[in-house]
Amino acid sequence: MGRIADWLDDRTGYRALTREALEEPVPGGARLRYVFGSVLTYLFMQQVVLGILLATYYSPSASDAWASTAYIQDQVTGGWFLRGLHHHGSSMMVIVLILHLLQVFVAGAYKRPREVNWWTGLAMGGLVLAFALTGYLLPWDQKGYWATQVATGIMGSVPGGEPMQSLVQGGSEYGNLTLTRFYALHVFVLPLALAGLLGLHLYLFRRHGVTPPAKMNAEELARKTQPFWPNQLFLDVLAMFVTGAALVTLTFATHGAELFAPADPASNFVARPEWYFLFLFQLLKYFDGPLTLVATVLLPGAVTLFFVLLPFVDRSESRAVKKRGPVMVAMGLVMAGVVALTVIAMAHDANDPKFQEGLAQAEEDAERARELAKKGVPPRGGTAVWENDPAFHAKSLFKENCATCHTLDGRGGKEAPVLTDFSSREWLIGAVRRPLDEDYFGGTKDHSTMEPYGEEGLPDAQLDAIVEYLVSLRGDTKVDAALVAKGKTLWEDEFDCNGCHEVEAGVDGDGAPVFGGRGTTAWVERVIRDSSQKDLYGDAAEMPKFEGKLSDEDIRALAELIVPPASAPEK
Amino acid sequence: MSVPPESDERPLASTTAEGPAHPEDVPSEERRKFLKVGVGVLGAGCACAVAVPAVGYLAFPLGHDVTSKLDAYLPAGEAEAFGDTPTKVDLYADRVDAWNRVRQVKVGSAWVAKRDGKWLALSTVCPHLGCAIDWDGEAKLYTCPCHTSAFEPSGAHQQGPAPRGMDELEVKEAEGLVQIRYQRFRQGLSGKETV
Ligand code: FES
Repeated sequence: MGRIADWLDDRTGYRALTREALEEPVPGGARLRYVFGSVLTYLFMQQVVLGILLATYYSPSASDAWASTAYIQDQVTGGWFLRGLHHHGSSMMVIVLILHLLQVFVAGAYKRPREVNWWTGLAMGGLVLAFALTGYLLPWDQKGYWATQVATGIMGSVPGGEPMQSLVQGGSEYGNLTLTRFYALHVFVLPLALAGLLGLHLYLFRRHGVTPPAKMNAEELARKTQPFWPNQLFLDVLAMFVTGAALVTLTFATHGAELFAPADPASNFVARPEWYFLFLFQLLKYFDGPLTLVATVLLPGAVTLFFVLLPFVDRSESRAVKKRGPVMVAMGLVMAGVVALTVIAMAHDANDPKFQEGLAQAEEDAERARELAKKGVPPRGGTAVWENDPAFHAKSLFKENCATCHTLDGRGGKEAPVLTDFSSREWLIGAVRRPLDEDYFGGTKDHSTMEPYGEEGLPDAQLDAIVEYLVSLRGDTKVDAALVAKGKTLWEDEFDCNGCHEVEAGVDGDGAPVFGGRGTTAWVERVIRDSSQKDLYGDAAEMPKFEGKLSDEDIRALAELIVPPASAPEK
Repeated sequence: MSVPPESDERPLASTTAEGPAHPEDVPSEERRKFLKVGVGVLGAGCACAVAVPAVGYLAFPLGHDVTSKLDAYLPAGEAEAFGDTPTKVDLYADRVDAWNRVRQVKVGSAWVAKRDGKWLALSTVCPHLGCAIDWDGEAKLYTCPCHTSAFEPSGAHQQGPAPRGMDELEVKEAEGLVQIRYQRFRQGLSGKETV
């Protein structure tokens, strides 16, 4: 072992390198507030590893992105956890980034000779935000899709921004190219840029060393200087561990990152950016028209400019906080503004019942979509997951096979009875009052035998009784027995309905539907199979037979769509 | 331990070049050891938070059917379509592929012929390394384009590196259609073993 190490050291000189790294002097001694840079480096590396892991299952295309993310989240062993770490890791980076920035600011570390280091740090901060923005879209879920729409929309709204927007999102609308571009940025361009800047940042940091407390004089600094190892390194690693533990806890507590329903351009989603962009989102609310530019470009631009020019703005000789009053106040104002806007945005949403309702709906949709995704998502794209829903499947069957003639829930043809609330009491009342209406049999060929019964001949009270009787005939037990008895008498004696309609299940109705058992799910199923059976429409049947054309399950699904089995035909 | 100045580009470091002046600033050997172990343990903890779940995550396809198992009889065509000369048919099935569920995609193909009044279906997957086997109508042999393996019309191994004959698939006739039970077999073995 030792010999191999010697050999390696001879060829690479790694020992001198580690020694140099470990013995880097920390003037004034190790300090807890020097840890943020190390923690950020650790978080970045962890994000890289997690990102690579996620990339082993993720597929960046508009049709696959959501489905593959749902696969990671709900099926792959530990997928939810790793994705959760990656997701919360970005929030953590933003938090530590802010702490790092504040520490550097308070220490006056942007001053001579560390200006360039300050700028590389700012640039990296910008990159971290760009990471967050590009990563947010990748799951292609409702939240990422709509929140990112806002971001690219802002880009397009600034003067001359439209070509920029098209360039970034790969066309005038979101689609495959948006994802491949964001993906390429997120996993190649940004990490490489950040790694490069980080290298430069660390080089400059080693060149200038830490910025020791301003109140110590040279003699005290020298006296208290410690090497990086062991004290500072231990503090750094301890801080990394605490951060990592917090991340793990957060990930468990939230069961990883949220994943909403697949991106649906036709839906309306309560779009909100991630918490660290909320202040910008809130700022947008105060400016409109041409003034929007104030919120989107001018204010953020001014603050950025303030940061960039800070080393020149703050010309004080001393790094001591007391000697830098004006910049301290300026920074305080910026921070207070950001915090205030964030709090306002959060409070506003928390007290907005409409937003809460939308959110609850979105969470419900998410849960359903992800449950359906476990059966596999049809390759047409994330939203195709809804096709796994039995009700959706039945609806599309209806559209394909029935809607040319029948209307259901406002859509379809008029060549056969409307099936909305089919065979409910209201439906039956309408069928007696207006059998020749388009809504009933008016559109059906050769179905004009039944005469309408107006109110003069058949008062409402009597009709109600008859309808109640009909409802009882199909085996519905939730009926008014007295009304049924009355209806039966009316049916048989007064109106002689049984002159045409038989009521005993299964008998030959001679073209007029038999009412025994009529209107149940099973009955609808039989009609779909073959409506010309003798107790159904017999020779008068106009409807095509679906027996053999549709599978048994499909016929059953259609019947259940028209008459939900549990609730019987009643509203 | 002292820290030598490395260059005068480090104004701060150079002012402290003499190192800790007070011996009590130098951590004791015991403390150094403690910190060393601490750094190791905490660092390992951080790494494990990702590394441990990553193992199960990456190995997920080993213990799960990521793509749906092929086992059902698939319609190959009408019985009249096949005669003594082998015909290649593509087989379609509904399939789950990781996150996708696809209806009626091509899952594979087979050579189908009538031999001695019975159906013979042979998988086109070469038992050597999986190339797609052709029918050579002139030589009346199945040949693999990759490594010169050749097979008799019965599927028996005739020449080349293939370790066994072509894989026969189960056939049945139902509703006037020839149906083939499409399966895949491990390559490179002398026996037939389903994957
Ligand atoms: S794969 Fe067929 S001979 Fe090698």
